[in-house]
Amino acid sequence: MLRTGISGIDEMLGGGIPGESKVLVSMEPGVDGGLFMATTLVDALSRDRTCLVVIPTSTRDAFREEILSTKGVDIHTRPDRIITLDSRTREDIRKNIRDHSQRLAEWKRVICSACTENNVDVAFIYFDLFYEDFGLDGALSVLEMTGVDKKPVVVVEHLNLEGDTFIEDLASAGLFDLVFSIKASYTGVPFFNFLTVEHISWTQLPRRSVPYLISDGTIRLYIPKIIVTGPPASGKTTFVNNASEYGISTDRNDFRGSSTTVAMDLGWVHLKGFDISIYGTPGKPRFDPILPQLFKCAMGAVLIIDVTRPETLDRARQLLTMIQQALLPVVLVANKSDLPYTLGKEEIRRILNLPEDTIITFISATRSSDVSCVVEDLVEQIIMFPY
Amino acid sequence: MYIYKSGIKVIDDALGGLESGTNILILVPSLSSGDRIGYTISKPKNGEFSIILSTDQPSADIEETLGLTPFQRTHTGIIDTVTKLMSPEAADSVRVKYVPSASDLTGIGIKFTRMVEEIFRGDFSEDELEIFPPPIRFYINSLSTLLMYRRVEVLYQFLHVITTKLKKMEALGVYVLNKESFDERTLSLMKQLMNVVIDVKKDSNQEFLSINGLSAITPDWIAYQFEDGNLVMK
Repeated sequence: MLRTGISGIDEMLGGGIPGESKVLVSMEPGVDGGLFMATTLVDALSRDRTCLVVIPTSTRDAFREEILSTKGVDIHTRPDRIITLDSRTREDIRKNIRDHSQRLAEWKRVICSACTENNVDVAFIYFDLFYEDFGLDGALSVLEMTGVDKKPVVVVEHLNLEGDTFIEDLASAGLFDLVFSIKASYTGVPFFNFLTVEHISWTQLPRRSVPYLISDGTIRLYIPKIIVTGPPASGKTTFVNNASEYGISTDRNDFRGSSTTVAMDLGWVHLKGFDISIYGTPGKPRFDPILPQLFKCAMGAVLIIDVTRPETLDRARQLLTMIQQALLPVVLVANKSDLPYTLGKEEIRRILNLPEDTIITFISATRSSDVSCVVEDLVEQIIMFPY
Repeated sequence: MYIYKSGIKVIDDALGGLESGTNILILVPSLSSGDRIGYTISKPKNGEFSIILSTDQPSADIEETLGLTPFQRTHTGIIDTVTKLMSPEAADSVRVKYVPSASDLTGIGIKFTRMVEEIFRGDFSEDELEIFPPPIRFYINSLSTLLMYRRVEVLYQFLHVITTKLKKMEALGVYVLNKESFDERTLSLMKQLMNVVIDVKKDSNQEFLSINGLSAITPDWIAYQFEDGNLVMK
């Protein structure tokens, strides 16, 4: 398995990329996505893989400096592990060979020789100029590695100037085992980057988009919102507090001194390679008008019930309906299971009319380990959920 | 809608400037001062920022020759596609970012986005953002060089994305192209992406410009020259 070096993605891929796979990383112009291939390259080198880099738009030294400045890693500390074919290779081929098809043949020969002679494990190929010089079929034929006994994993970076249809066509044609597209959403503030798994050949994974952040040369997948909701006093604030590495609460005391959430609780956690924002909603029905706003852009929900108070399940059912209307994956948490209770799993499922595949977990939200397990379950569902 | 002062008297007198989202193509003959018209339009005014993509000159030379005021200097960023060819170790700073070659459209796009992000985040200069979204002038000098490296169809697609993003960002795009080096089809494709075209011609030692695409201005030939770094109509 080749790891991408981006833990959230490796998690989604089931550990990494199988040997001999072909991977396409397709980027929209202007999207800060160059780090994806750079991260995989640096990770592969750190695991003593031999890598070939084919980058006709740059020189070997300029590429080395770029990786040094973005990732803080000198990729040439082990020169036997990295082979580069750069703009000078392209210039030589263009200068010495006039015929178009012979140029293509020469590129294939040069790349295959480099793979064979150096026993290359992973080939990183910057695709744009191949596509421009030789058309799509010609450029794709470069990736075939005909005649190379030990086929490397081939990772291709491509600047997609042709839009979604082009990627859909490539994904459905089965030319690649894994296709990522990387895009940015331009609204009032222009920089909301996200990665979409368009196609994967070795496991069942629905087409999936995940936002990401870049911080100090590291890509961090980002789940912008998980909703934690449930009837009043079911333990939502405790859950958010114990799920989060840091956060804020908007609990206020009423006239009798008991506290209630009046807007939302907010927490942040890094888990399974994802940066996650957790929003706890108020539970009282008088706050229902604001719930659709809180549910906006959420990627999943935790519905908490107080297992010691069956009478609150009617309210839980109302909240479950809202979650289902928002088409979100949901985990049901039966909280306060450290106290005496009589409700069983099947009874909860029957009363709430829960689908068979909805997970019900009995926990105590006062225990951080219980809460973390629930968030992990939900992240796994988010990865697999067909939005 | 934000209005950008163009530094061209005819435009600023008639319209007050150029509307945000405008993309201007400057078509110049060889050995003319046409690229200086681009620099004139792209100099940032108060509260604004400027990004220059340089495909012909290293950033160090541009900074020297532009004659920027201290404010303009701290509000102008350069994407340099030249220096890395000679000095691969050149490292990005907030105001200068390097791309290994003008053929690297991916790199150009990424560095442009990083610079814009820094402007939006307020990391680009020490001044507080006065206007949001921050007005940004983006100048590509020149399309001619990009066309030497990439096919016109590819560049057209790339610029289509860039010009659309500039519109969404309420920015101003300025592009210079040597009209004598390319065929009619190429010029026509580039014009399709623009709202305004400034045509430049040389007659003896006098240069003229003609502004097309602004309804309040007739596309007459107007003689101009540069005096103390300012564009002056005769």
